[in-house]
Amino acid sequence: MAGQGIRRREVLRILGTAAAAAHFPGFSKWTFACGHIGNAALQIKPAMYRPQFFTSAEYAMVERLTDVIIPSDGTPGAKEAGVAEFIDFMVASDPEVQYGFRMGLAWLNAHAEQAEGRRFLELTPAQQIFLLEPLGFKDKMRPGEETGREFFRMLRESTVTGFYTSEIGYKELDNPALKFYAASPECPHKGDPEHAHVAQGRS
Amino acid sequence: MAKQIYDVIVIGTGAGGGMAIKTLCEAGLKVCAINAGRRLDPEKDFRYHRMPWDMKFRGLDDPKRRGQSFGYMDNEYTKAAWDHEIPFTVAPGTKWMWPRCNAVGGKTNFWGRSSARFGDIDLRAASRDGYDVDWPVSYDEISPFYTRVEKMIGVASTVQNRPSNPDGSYLPPFNFRCLDFILEAGCNKVGVPYLPDRCAQLTQPHEGHPACHFCGECTTGCDVGAFFSTPYFLLPKAEATKNLELRTNALAKNVLVDENGHAAGVAYIDRKTKQEVEVYGRAVIVGASCIESARIMLNSKSRRWPNGIANSSGQVGRNLCDHLYGESARGYLPQLLGQPSFPDHVADSTIAWMPRWQNLKDPHAEKFIRGYSVYPDGGCSEFPWFAHDVDGFGSSFKREIKRRYPSPVSFGIQAPSLRSDTNFMDLDPEVKDPYGIPVARVHFEWDENVLKMWEHSKQVCAEVLRAAGGELEGSGQDPEIPGWSLHETGTCRMGNDPKNFVTNRFGQTHDIPNLYVCDASVFLNCTDKTTTISILAFSLRTSEHLIENFRRGEHTAA
Repeated sequence: MAGQGIRRREVLRILGTAAAAAHFPGFSKWTFACGHIGNAALQIKPAMYRPQFFTSAEYAMVERLTDVIIPSDGTPGAKEAGVAEFIDFMVASDPEVQYGFRMGLAWLNAHAEQAEGRRFLELTPAQQIFLLEPLGFKDKMRPGEETGREFFRMLRESTVTGFYTSEIGYKELDNPALKFYAASPECPHKGDPEHAHVAQGRS
Repeated sequence: MAKQIYDVIVIGTGAGGGMAIKTLCEAGLKVCAINAGRRLDPEKDFRYHRMPWDMKFRGLDDPKRRGQSFGYMDNEYTKAAWDHEIPFTVAPGTKWMWPRCNAVGGKTNFWGRSSARFGDIDLRAASRDGYDVDWPVSYDEISPFYTRVEKMIGVASTVQNRPSNPDGSYLPPFNFRCLDFILEAGCNKVGVPYLPDRCAQLTQPHEGHPACHFCGECTTGCDVGAFFSTPYFLLPKAEATKNLELRTNALAKNVLVDENGHAAGVAYIDRKTKQEVEVYGRAVIVGASCIESARIMLNSKSRRWPNGIANSSGQVGRNLCDHLYGESARGYLPQLLGQPSFPDHVADSTIAWMPRWQNLKDPHAEKFIRGYSVYPDGGCSEFPWFAHDVDGFGSSFKREIKRRYPSPVSFGIQAPSLRSDTNFMDLDPEVKDPYGIPVARVHFEWDENVLKMWEHSKQVCAEVLRAAGGELEGSGQDPEIPGWSLHETGTCRMGNDPKNFVTNRFGQTHDIPNLYVCDASVFLNCTDKTTTISILAFSLRTSEHLIENFRRGEHTAA
């Protein structure tokens, strides 16, 4: 079946890291807009989110890390989109990824203690970023930090998945999915097939 | 009570079975159709108009089911539609990814909709390059059936005058998006074609079916029926004749034979009651999809047919071919960086294609024989899958994802494997499904020829991308696992010689005049084109041949 390339790749790729929960937890930020589907039972909105997998200390780290990866910087970021809740939900009952997440968070704390003498969340934001940059930027990579890099890659993938499948993530990209059109949408730059002027006119 | 005897029992309701059911019912024959799965309820089962955050797993499959999953089609949008109960096995060394939809309508509920005709370059390929044998049907013979099928289902495209792609009658094509114009310019420089695909998606209302609303979610099912599927296009017409009895959750076990060894009906398992049920007919059509049809026939062992029904040639299950799929190139178009988002995904990607351009004049011009086609794809998609490859984190990361969102492109190859003695399916001697029926076992590896096409496509697509001003980022390391395309063919090939072919040129088995096959298993091989429209055309022809045989009194009518 032709024509399913992107969805197929997407699903396979995401299935590689993401996982599911044994039961349906309550969410505070990652709400399900299920009203129109008619299942009120799904619309649980407790005031405080209680993590299903992570300890509260771990969860605070996850939340901070997602905020570092996709920050609120003029437009809402991972925090507003409830990405930490999504990650907790997906990790909660997937034995295949649980160890990696728990191990990675422990590694990061140990790494922070070694470098700065304090746990990760006790560092200043600037110190946190300084520790994370070698994990997240290719040109700042350092030998001996493979465990941390692998953990950060996994967390970043989960953050990207959680953020860009949220309503806030859709708005961030102005995602055109699931809109209806009367005719098949057409390139608005007629007369310039190579789109040279489009590239030049960009601010 | 006298047992009821239908005129025809049809196994399967996908493209092949669905077309047979409609054609036979309209001709006044009494048809009993049996289908392994249930009827889908578009309201409940097609969840395509939901946003990811409306679903528990954001539209992905519950990863708890990973171990049970047979493929990539499992997700929250269509989770109820794919079969997980009936296993299959693979021979040592074979990898086979094979999602199966046993719901009424089969894979037509979710298919890719690309609908190019086969031409003589395909049907007479053996005469051109000396490999294997020609099809027993010429393009002139099958062409009128394509024309009628195109009228029934509606195909959007243009007349293209290409030697490998006979033109048909088309609805207006999809409009080109920015990325199409840019890639087309690149293709022109390299000298390969970039054209509107043949897409069975209604760009205008057609034969009582509404036009597409371009939401871009076709492959999770369309609840207005704006692209061809048998439940929307064929089965209602059959049901209107009152000549159809459709039995669902009816898993075909074997074809029954009478004392002469002719087909007498079908035994199936009622999956609700777990009971075996027999249904009788004057003729039987098998259209359960390539491998399943062969499995049913091999499981139809009797004193008369110890090696499986209609298998005196020993060819049932042999000659399995498949389409090699893979990402020949991926990258992005700098021209589109930072552009406003645009609904690029409106057709789920078959807006354009690069139809076969290799070995057109000289069949041996390339290092491989035959040829392949390429589907370009890209732009703003539901999910920014490229984001996983963007370096870093923080505001620069977030900005870069937004900037690149309209710009990614990729090229997907569709290349036919060649017939070989070592690619086939048989029955697993040990493993049985939950109903005690031996399961299909697949033996398959990509051949050297198709892997040469894969290497060739990586070079050409990289060249096209660069010529279009794009940045090449890579390609798939390997092609996808076999089975991925869902385009298997060849397990009941048609041909004139009863010693070497299962059916005659009309899909009627050589051994048993009242047993027919109407899916891609009768095809001699894959081509560079998809299979569905050709299944429809050949099934229409087979069905009319069967009707003619009824008229001539060969299968006595009820």
